[in-house]
Amino acid sequence: MKRFIHHSELARDQRFVRQDNAASTVLATLPDDVDTVVNVFDQFSDMIESSVQGTAAEPLFEEYGPAFGLVTLNEPLTPGAPAERQRLAMRLHAIFVGEMQALEGASRSLWDFPDSPWEFKMNMARQAWDEARHVQIFEKLMDHVGCKAGDYPESTFLFECACSEDPALRVAGVNRGLEGLACDVFRDLIRFAEQSGDELLKQAMDYVLADELTHVRFGSEWVKEFTRGDPERFKRAQDFRREVDKQFSLGGARSDREDAAVPIAMQDRREAGFTEEELSELLELSGEGPSRKTLMAATKIIRERHLARREEKRREEKRQQGQEATA
Amino acid sequence: MTEQRMYPGTGADERTTFAPYSAFEIPADLRELHGRYDVESMARRVRNFRYAEEWTMMILGGWIATIPELPVKTGLGKIVWDAATAADVLGKRLPELRCGRKSVAASESANDGFAAFVQSVAEPETPDLTIEKLAGMFDVLKPHLIEVYERTARETDYISDAPTIELLEDIVRKARRHQAWAGEVLDRLCDTDAKQQRRRARAAEMTSQLEACGGVAGDLGVANA
Ligand SMILES: [Fe+2]
Ligand SMILES: [Fe+2]
Repeated sequence: MKRFIHHSELARDQRFVRQDNAASTVLATLPDDVDTVVNVFDQFSDMIESSVQGTAAEPLFEEYGPAFGLVTLNEPLTPGAPAERQRLAMRLHAIFVGEMQALEGASRSLWDFPDSPWEFKMNMARQAWDEARHVQIFEKLMDHVGCKAGDYPESTFLFECACSEDPALRVAGVNRGLEGLACDVFRDLIRFAEQSGDELLKQAMDYVLADELTHVRFGSEWVKEFTRGDPERFKRAQDFRREVDKQFSLGGARSDREDAAVPIAMQDRREAGFTEEELSELLELSGEGPSRKTLMAATKIIRERHLARREEKRREEKRQQGQEATA
Repeated sequence: MTEQRMYPGTGADERTTFAPYSAFEIPADLRELHGRYDVESMARRVRNFRYAEEWTMMILGGWIATIPELPVKTGLGKIVWDAATAADVLGKRLPELRCGRKSVAASESANDGFAAFVQSVAEPETPDLTIEKLAGMFDVLKPHLIEVYERTARETDYISDAPTIELLEDIVRKARRHQAWAGEVLDRLCDTDAKQQRRRARAAEMTSQLEACGGVAGDLGVANA
């Protein structure tokens, strides 16, 4: 078995479809400008359309066009909000595939870095078990809200961004970038579960968050250990984590901004070993994307264009049918 | 009335009045001293076992991303952790066997043949080879380890080397669970004659390689002779 695999090589059964990571990558670097956002989604429209075909997201695409993700994922999740169940399902599914990739990332570290210190291997092995349980937990939670594995396309963006070939960078990306994002997302889900009175979701998230904190702590310790006496490598690890954090902020959807879909779990991150300096950096870089106002304005235009295209297509089909009938 | 003596004095008539008692004599302690291995050879075996557990952990860790069947992915996640804890407790036994404080992470293959066997177990890579992956690991390596661990526990000094026996028993208990789980997975995956044949062929190939090198401790065949 070779060392280091490409994210396209993550094995899946026939229920799953892939989403091209390009859309997530571009989304993560969008500026606060309506026209640019609209153009980007226009450009990716065909790709997004083909990735949702046959999934539970297809009706959303039909209704909102290629920016349906902005409507569903980048908005704060509150009980009673429109399409609450569907959006909760999409979020749980996105976390479920994220957990799968975290399982794959942590366990690959055991194979990819055979000469690493024993304590590191122990930590990665423990994480493999934890992430495996998280996958199982999210399968149950998806069932709880009425969706299942493969209902939505999977982006392997998390694995792609976080899995570096340098173990110091790998733990910086996976255990601090990805796992840090997980802390933010789970804290937010606990908030949602409390507001909606969902005790099952709340308790499951409570435990999962405890595990994720442990994983961030692994990362905090191993970045230090791997880069001890090597300031150059430490800098590379920090830069890499910053890059991952920037991408995982999804254009400000995860940030400390008032309009953020997922706020940053500052207290949890402190407990997991993020320094005040790292946290203020994160606040700064995660808030850089387009504002909610920009996204709303862009979404409206994208939806109008999408519906117009659909209407045009329908007219064209009718015209052809008419021609065939006369012929 | 003679006063009850609580503590022995220096003279023969100054003994306490307590009757001798040994928990081990009720019932009688039938264990005998002496086993097949001295400290040095047991330490070598522990390093050999640790080698097998550490590589099991690493191989399964590498496979998880390459296996499409979701319950197999998650099931292996747990076994990765169990293999890691097995390697960990084996390592912690080493300083107790006079290998030095730094020996906790020492793994050692019994010979080059076993190291090559482990690499052969790890060979199947693509997502269509779950049967080959699991058959090499759970039809061949795991049952072999269970057998050798149990034999070692039976053959070592029951009293002097009891800590090794205890940890091997714990490892075997979990390993049996892994084997049962994987057996069920393989039974379901091999739902055609052709797939059953693939499983058998892979197991036969791995078994002959394992036998040729003498197994995890290099003494397969020797011990049974
Ligand atoms: Fe997780
Ligand atoms: Fe995690």
